[in-house]
Amino acid sequence: MSIKNIVALVSAGRHPISGQARHCRNDSLAMTIGLALTSDLNAENANSVNLKVIHAGHAKNAALTDYLALGASQIDVIPALENADIVDSLAENLKNVDVILMGSRAESGQDSGLLPYLLAEKLNYSLVANVLTIKQTTEGIEALQFLPKGKRRSVKVTMPTVIVIHPLAPVQLRHAYARQANGHISQFATQTPTQESKYSCTVEWQTQSTIRKPNKLKAKENKSGHARMLSATVSENKGGAVVNDGNSVEKAQVILSYLREHRLINF
Amino acid sequence: MSDENNIKRINPRRAYKIMADGVKRIVLGSISDFVAHEATSHHGTNKPVRTPSAPKARVLVIAHSDRGMLDDHARQALAAAAILADANTAVVVLVLGELREDLSNAGADEVLVIAELDYQTFQPDVEVSCAKTIIASIVPKHIFMPDNLIGDGDLGRRLIACYPEKSAATHVIELNNVQVANYQLGGTSLALTSLPYIVLLAADTTDSRLAFSAAAQKLDSTFANQNTAKSQKSNYTNLGMQTISAANIALEEADFIVSAGNGVDNVTTLQALAASLDAAIGASRVAVDDGKFTRDKQIGATGKTVTASTYLAIGISGAVQHLQGIKDCRHVIAINRDNSAPIIKRADLSVIGDAESIMQELITAIAQVKSSAQEAA
Repeated sequence: MSIKNIVALVSAGRHPISGQARHCRNDSLAMTIGLALTSDLNAENANSVNLKVIHAGHAKNAALTDYLALGASQIDVIPALENADIVDSLAENLKNVDVILMGSRAESGQDSGLLPYLLAEKLNYSLVANVLTIKQTTEGIEALQFLPKGKRRSVKVTMPTVIVIHPLAPVQLRHAYARQANGHISQFATQTPTQESKYSCTVEWQTQSTIRKPNKLKAKENKSGHARMLSATVSENKGGAVVNDGNSVEKAQVILSYLREHRLINF
Repeated sequence: MSDENNIKRINPRRAYKIMADGVKRIVLGSISDFVAHEATSHHGTNKPVRTPSAPKARVLVIAHSDRGMLDDHARQALAAAAILADANTAVVVLVLGELREDLSNAGADEVLVIAELDYQTFQPDVEVSCAKTIIASIVPKHIFMPDNLIGDGDLGRRLIACYPEKSAATHVIELNNVQVANYQLGGTSLALTSLPYIVLLAADTTDSRLAFSAAAQKLDSTFANQNTAKSQKSNYTNLGMQTISAANIALEEADFIVSAGNGVDNVTTLQALAASLDAAIGASRVAVDDGKFTRDKQIGATGKTVTASTYLAIGISGAVQHLQGIKDCRHVIAINRDNSAPIIKRADLSVIGDAESIMQELITAIAQVKSSAQEAA
């Protein structure tokens, strides 16, 4: 099975301080990875792969021109309807796609990072998150996943699949004004979704424009006055084992056995 | 003199017991003076036990373990669930991966462990079906999970997509009994909603030190395991883990750091030790100022904040600024000549002695262990 259709989903970003409309970096990374994969596959086999860049929202959004400058030759805009869920309208248009690429978190809206999961569940596609690089293999996509603490994991996933790109993906974004001038943005015809949404936006958020430091949740202490006095006067006995005795060989053995006991080394 | 006044004298240091709630009780008629008896309480602590005897409801916490332990982020999710639970609600924790520690101080009333679902193996379909089985059997009021990159953030979002009729919130930065909050619109606005069914918690929402302990009773999880064993053909195949060599990794991301301070004279020994442990090298401010290390190696308030699971501090006294930089490190081991240095209070293991000779012996010991392991293989 080889890839025929790739879709990169892009969202409108905003500058964190000025609020100016701009591209969302996470989505740009995903789009650039999609463009690179498309050109690689087309170099092997001419015009075998087709990449679409899709945005759900308004065609007049100034952020979209950034994506043209970053390499998209055309952006298809699915109009966001008041009464329809974005997941439904996207799923409607992503039915015969092999690979869907997108960033891990948007910069506008709820930024929950849930869209790829809801899409994958609705379309019954497989999903891999935190992906750094992808390549095509004989029976699917091979993806390199980011894990914390210097670990990476490669997994193979069957198509059709949703690939969510990690912000640390090794991609260089190249902005070219000529591409921005040449590219164009086209709008899909407005369509009413065929079925009622399953994900019925059950959460209603009240937003506040003022940012404050979050309050940490702490366990309430129902201590007696005596205990509170104790904790105020007696310092908590902190610190672990202290090894004073022995020669350096024995001390080195103590450290080594601690490391092995807690499985901090694998030898 | 006291005989003349005939005042009854009471020994102020009479024998006493400290009861489970921390209150001192004087034992009348006891002869053995000057002995403070610690009353035996639950799990050796004198914290009150929260676990309800006949729970009417349950909340579920799902988290992956790392090397048989829950990290602080997972413990925060567990602590949040335990704090928000009322007197008739039990906290059930589902640990994916091996568990080798006691979770009674973390607030878990009941513990389910599925050792096969380690975070290193990518098997989201099996994890989701296991979690769904357990959710169906427990029927939790709320599900709390840490929103991290070792699989819980991913699994949590998959579960949210599985239960579209239920409410959910991700990247939660603040929570209480009534509502949760997170940042939206690219971090420019704060959004609030009532406490949803599935809560994915960002780091540092909760203080994981609890004022109470819990039963941490291990439950049988084989019913979910049966599900694991006969899993259908998966969409996902693991092609193996890669670990980036510690020398090529940013200090913030490193898992094992060997760090040098003023007590280290010979940098070559330290580099040899770091190479044999495959650890990244860090330094305290003094060592950097002396020109022994470059500025990007500095750990502390002015330098980097690290989250390594092992931090080997060699010849570092542990100034407050330095301890700030290592506050998220799980295991701190100190080698120091001074046993009253502040790092000793922070360290989980402190070895008092000459740094250079202990480092040399440690390198030799590691080489021996490695060669014997190779011979055995």
